[in-house]
Amino acid sequence: MDWSLIIENSLKGLVGINAVYFAVAAIGMNVQYGYTGLLNFGQAGFMACGAYGLGMTAHYFDIPMWWGIPLGILFSVVLGLLMGIPTLRLRADYLAIVTIAAAEIIRLVVRSVRFKTYFGGSDGINNFSESFREVGTDLGIQQSAEYGFWPFTFTGRELWTLIIGWLVVAFFGFLVYQLMKSPWGRVLKAIREDEDAVRSLGKNVYSYKMQSLILGGVIGTFSGMIFALDRGSVQPDNYSRDVTFYVLTALVLGGVARVTGSIIGPMLFWGLFTFVDNFMRQVTEDPIKVGNFTLLQSTQVGQLNYMLIGLALILLMVFRPQGLVGNRKEMAFDGR
Amino acid sequence: MFDGSAKAADYALRVQVKEQSRDAAGKADNQPVVGVTITVTDADGVEVGTGQTDETGVVVIPVPDRGDYTVTLDESTLPDGQTLDARTAASQTVTEDSFVTATKIVNFFTGESQSVSQTFVERLSQRVLDGIRLGLVLAMCAVGLSLVFGTTGLTNFAHGEVVTFGGLAAFVFNITGLSFLGFLSFLPGVTEQGTFHILWAAPIGVVFGGLFGWALNAGIFSRLRHRGIGLVTQMVLTVGLSILLRNFFLSRFGGRTRPYREFTLQRAWEIGPVSITPRDAVVSLLSLVILVSVALALRYSRLGKATRAVSDNPDLASATGIDSERVIRLVWIIGGALAAIGGVFRGLDEQASFDMGSRLLFLMFAGITLGGLGSAFGALVGGFVVGIMVEVASLVVPTELKATPALLVLILVLLFRPQGILGKAQRVG
Repeated sequence: MDWSLIIENSLKGLVGINAVYFAVAAIGMNVQYGYTGLLNFGQAGFMACGAYGLGMTAHYFDIPMWWGIPLGILFSVVLGLLMGIPTLRLRADYLAIVTIAAAEIIRLVVRSVRFKTYFGGSDGINNFSESFREVGTDLGIQQSAEYGFWPFTFTGRELWTLIIGWLVVAFFGFLVYQLMKSPWGRVLKAIREDEDAVRSLGKNVYSYKMQSLILGGVIGTFSGMIFALDRGSVQPDNYSRDVTFYVLTALVLGGVARVTGSIIGPMLFWGLFTFVDNFMRQVTEDPIKVGNFTLLQSTQVGQLNYMLIGLALILLMVFRPQGLVGNRKEMAFDGR
Repeated sequence: MFDGSAKAADYALRVQVKEQSRDAAGKADNQPVVGVTITVTDADGVEVGTGQTDETGVVVIPVPDRGDYTVTLDESTLPDGQTLDARTAASQTVTEDSFVTATKIVNFFTGESQSVSQTFVERLSQRVLDGIRLGLVLAMCAVGLSLVFGTTGLTNFAHGEVVTFGGLAAFVFNITGLSFLGFLSFLPGVTEQGTFHILWAAPIGVVFGGLFGWALNAGIFSRLRHRGIGLVTQMVLTVGLSILLRNFFLSRFGGRTRPYREFTLQRAWEIGPVSITPRDAVVSLLSLVILVSVALALRYSRLGKATRAVSDNPDLASATGIDSERVIRLVWIIGGALAAIGGVFRGLDEQASFDMGSRLLFLMFAGITLGGLGSAFGALVGGFVVGIMVEVASLVVPTELKATPALLVLILVLLFRPQGILGKAQRVG
């Protein structure tokens, strides 16, 4: 067993690009779920908005990539309105149902043959991130050179995305932190605790919920952009509904209704995930057997990891729904 | 990280080249076309394989995985005097989603088309019939979802996995076999390896579905209710449960779809403009009988009345002496069993797979929202309507997007009649 490799990969997982794009998505979901009590099960749809906003600039519009940022934001505002208008006046479950459905339909539409000219079908879109890489090169980061110290060694290509990614995390973390201290943020938290009380104070609850949903969605959009820039491609199947659920698990792991929770959660999530994955793959180089019954073989490790994510989410919800750094009193809302 | 897993199956494209003709009685009697070169390329245009059709007009070209491929027929290799039918392109594309089983069949036809082109009415009636079949399954699966919501307020995002559980439990008894049950081989339809005929396996799967529903309630949800854990928390928990179960099914069952044993391709009955296989007809009739019995039981039996009372107002129901925990337990058991029936029937229709239920979840939600969240009759009607609508919609929207209208229904219902067709009006805004 190669422990140094396992530890190196796990530590890299803590700060790697997966942790970054999960953290941005989780900051967004935290605005909705943690602070407002909205169940957005379609964050993957918002992430797709960002990724396809960037991708479509090259694939369909033929304009500079940077236009993809406002385009992605526009898409996600439209998506937020589409999800929010029918559901935000109703009980919490309706939003969950509509968001999960809308995100799935978005995935079907962007991967469809019919709309291939716009979204590139199931192949997705490649070759749009050149101008992003060029900025890095202009700042003196060699794309293929190695930077850093053990265990945090990254190629210049990875490093450049990581720098931008963590800056985005810091920006939105700070923004949400400030917003939630403001009177606006206090209204959101009050809606989570008792919607009727807020309404009786003359606040337009529907409008506040809509703002929260869209803000969280737009932040999620940036997560999709970072992921797309890192991969240099946009693939429809990277935005399946399970992505939302993994982000949710990462958020709950870190701590709900805390900005710190939404950042350390994804870091821990990816550190642990990489650890378990690397460990299990080394353990199962020979299949584990009980008598004639094959308990686990290397091809099943992927599924085992996801089963553990599911189990983790269940256990967290039963024993610590507020997560590591959250406050249990803030997670007692009922939604009915 | 998010690539699909379990690629144990050997995927292949089975390309058939046929000359269209009819025999004296006017029945289709297509002739194989021999020695035609077929080339398969993947989405990047890289050649995956090539081959010539054998004496049965067939060539099987293995492909690495389910994916998007282009199948090209070299027209210069067609026998002299034969050309492709005007409606058959020399290049056909196969999409990833069209691999229903590990082998995808691609047909090329030469000669004059012999089939009478279908009129709109004919296509519509066939779609409606397919829609009825889907709708019956959806209605059956959705009853449990809606009843659990009605009695406990919980939206169970793991309900799709309950459907899958039933379908796969039947598969285990039907195909995998349980060797310690070999002693039952004196019974008709049971082998010494412990495999059961589908007529045994289906009801066994249903029993297991009911037990599964009971176990979910007893093991998890009744405890959570007693601990006073909020509904939103429980809802997120069902998401975790869904991830856990779905990946468990995937790791044990694999990523491909597999048929039940007595699942044979049957010659379809042609009834007027539509065709249906005897198997599907039997399944649909059975579904209808089951659904009507469920509706009658809810309407007239003591338990049905108690269920509706608890759905209506749990506190009032308790006050009148109804044991609401008992009702909830029965709702989970019956809902699980009905979902399992839906799973088995879906498996007969489309084969069994690890995500057969979760693919239906969104349609079930659309159905119960349309019918009225929490109302069992609503789930029956709504599931049925959504099933028909989705199939009929595929006349106008591409098949790959045929689920889209369900989202539209969801949004329109919530905008204009959030309580659904049969739900009772609730506080709004």
